[in-house]
Amino acid sequence: MAVIKPMDRTDRRGAGRQILHSEAAFRSLIESVHDYAILMLDPQGIIVTWNPGAEHIKGYSADEIIGQHFSVFYPAEDRQAGKPEFELAVASRTGRFEDENWRLRKDGSRFWANVTITRLNDEAGNLIGFGKITRDLTERRRAEQRYRQLIESVSDYAIFSLDPSGIVTSWNLGAERIKGYSAEEIIGQHFSRFYPPEYLAAGLPAYVLAQAEQNGHWEGEGWRLRKDGSRFWSSAVVTAIRDEDGDLVGFSKVTRDITDRKLLLDQIKEHAAKLELRVKEREQTNADLEAFSYSVSHDLRAPLRAIQGFASALKEDYADTLDATATSYLTTISDSALRMNRLVQDLLNYSRLNRIDIESQPVSVAEALEQARLELADSPGEIAVHVAPGLQVAAHESTLVQVLFNLLSNALKFHLPEVIPKVAVTAAPLDDGSVRISITDNGIGIAPQHQERIFNVFERLHGQETYPGTGIGLAIVKRGMQRMHGKVGLQSADGDGSTFWVELPAVNA
Amino acid sequence: MNDERKFVLLVEDDPNDARLIQRCFDRTALPVQVMRLQDGDEAVAYLDGVAPYDNRVSHPLPCVVLLDLKLPRRSGLEVLQWIRSRTYELRRLPVVMLTSSHHAVDINRAYDLGANSYLVKPETIEQLTELVGLVKRYWLTINRDPRVTVS
Amino acid sequence: MAHERDSNIILLVEDTDSDAALVSSAFDRAGIANPIHRVADGEQAVSYLQGIGTYADRKQHPLPAVILLDLNMPRFNGYQVMLWLRTQTELKRIPVVVLTESKDSESINRAYDAGANSYLVKPGEPGEIQRVVEILAEYWMSLNETPRLAFRSGSQR
Repeated sequence: MAVIKPMDRTDRRGAGRQILHSEAAFRSLIESVHDYAILMLDPQGIIVTWNPGAEHIKGYSADEIIGQHFSVFYPAEDRQAGKPEFELAVASRTGRFEDENWRLRKDGSRFWANVTITRLNDEAGNLIGFGKITRDLTERRRAEQRYRQLIESVSDYAIFSLDPSGIVTSWNLGAERIKGYSAEEIIGQHFSRFYPPEYLAAGLPAYVLAQAEQNGHWEGEGWRLRKDGSRFWSSAVVTAIRDEDGDLVGFSKVTRDITDRKLLLDQIKEHAAKLELRVKEREQTNADLEAFSYSVSHDLRAPLRAIQGFASALKEDYADTLDATATSYLTTISDSALRMNRLVQDLLNYSRLNRIDIESQPVSVAEALEQARLELADSPGEIAVHVAPGLQVAAHESTLVQVLFNLLSNALKFHLPEVIPKVAVTAAPLDDGSVRISITDNGIGIAPQHQERIFNVFERLHGQETYPGTGIGLAIVKRGMQRMHGKVGLQSADGDGSTFWVELPAVNA
Repeated sequence: MNDERKFVLLVEDDPNDARLIQRCFDRTALPVQVMRLQDGDEAVAYLDGVAPYDNRVSHPLPCVVLLDLKLPRRSGLEVLQWIRSRTYELRRLPVVMLTSSHHAVDINRAYDLGANSYLVKPETIEQLTELVGLVKRYWLTINRDPRVTVS
Repeated sequence: MAHERDSNIILLVEDTDSDAALVSSAFDRAGIANPIHRVADGEQAVSYLQGIGTYADRKQHPLPAVILLDLNMPRFNGYQVMLWLRTQTELKRIPVVVLTESKDSESINRAYDAGANSYLVKPGEPGEIQRVVEILAEYWMSLNETPRLAFRSGSQR
């Protein structure tokens, strides 16, 4: 620091002007410094000058602070300990005092400061005061702290180095934490002591180093040993370190303990295997059920064919010897067999709906309706379809056709004797992204109190003579819609016709 | 060929079904001779000319076989496979499956093995009568038979 | 519902225009609603069945329920169509009804050996064609169970 000479007033001309100039220059230098507090103290420590930097750092304006003792900048405990005086004494004796420590701002807050106090002498070497330069290191300190925290947090990673032959040459906190050895214990030992016997037998440590030397690095997962002999699953990277000439000077190794992760992965694999097994079992069960219902279907229907066939044959072949009653009995037998056949079919359809995989695909509503309609070509009545040809829904095609067939069949069936059944089918997209297919008939309608029941299996509202049926049709509709994640509903009143509707997600072509 | 009395081989294990089918043949136009066999082995023996089916005058080869799927001893599909694997003319014999199964798997397998046609036994005897009538009108009237014997 | 109707179209492979017209009108007069698609030679038949070129859209050109096949055609005849068809894993299931002029036993035997499901001779008189068409339509389109193919008309089965 430059020695500041007091103004020489004796020579104003020439030299005086020079001094004036250099003094002014210095003053402007100090005035312009914003990041450093540069101030002068008298020999007792009273503040004599102040610069903008001091105001910026410490908060006081020049008027407020000039004339005060500089110990106001010290925290209470330092003042009590006599630190300010001590530091001045050191500066006075040795010429200089430097320190990093806490200082106080005007508002009482602390900041970490780098402080230099310099003894100022006159030409004779007498003490005329002190120069003090203070720098606010709060930011730097914070940065240092963050860096330190970072290093500390790398206690998750063992970071250490090896010499070219594999001897441990450095050790970090993470390494101590993960492997259990302290730095003193392990530096100088060969890194192969971290490997379990089976890996040593396979020559893995040497292989690892050779690979790292050849390819620049080696990466791998495996078991490692802690100091206490316990094992952990590690993920490690070994990197070759070379000097400027490209010669190998050693290796760096970063190891991570991922035992927890491995355990979790193993558990997941086990669960996945169990799940797969269960799926296979379920598929097997379904296959068994399928085969079962196939046999049931075949074996139940053969006798039904016989009953129906022979009753009809009897009616025909012996027509002239049978009276009206006998004929009616035979008709009943025949019809019952037919009904039973339909029942078996419907029950099998219903149970199948529960078993099979229903994967939804884009299905054309118009085409599905057409397929259902074809099956009803022989039934009396009219079906008018008003559906846009391009309209598609996400559905299982054969199930949807079954659902529509059942609804259309009902629509054509349940009418008063003298009425010709007329059915209208429409389809419209809804706001929520689904499509509603509505089937409206001019039939007998359904009273509100029955509207929920009819979707149950075997529920019927009429006797077999009025309207024949199995009582499963709507149950199939409901289950089918459920499995396709759709909805079914109805609007109806007794005697007023019905509108059954189903909803399915729309598919935009 | 179309003026001889046609001969149909019916391979059906259910006696009731067999009887009803036979009745339909009797009661529909175009007289046809129907021979009924009740299991797959018998069917193969007949077609192979093995005793007691070795006399081709009393046991001529049919112009069409009506074949059920589920049969004792040898299944319908096995019989079909046997027919189609012959290296001689018999391999051409028209085979119509007549069975109660309407499952896609069975239908496809039958066609894969070379069935000429696949019919499902209907619910009512009225429908069965229609079926038999149509079988007669088609296979035994307008269809041209291949040669199935060494002449 | 008794059976699913997988497909209802007829593929008519006939090189003679007048014969094709006769067959089509016979179907019309019999009141048969099933669409008939006609191709004029064996090559086009193969393209149709493979679904290539103009026939790529299966919605427009669905696989047929039955193929009516003439034998004598230029470029690729009926026998060749049938022999090709046998090599196709699923398509080979489609019933092929030969509808041709030849009535000699050699043609008949050869056709069955090539894989024909049935063999019909085109009758001389137009009245006869009507009868044959009615019976064949009723048999193959209403009574016979068609094979289930995975890639009919774009939908999965």
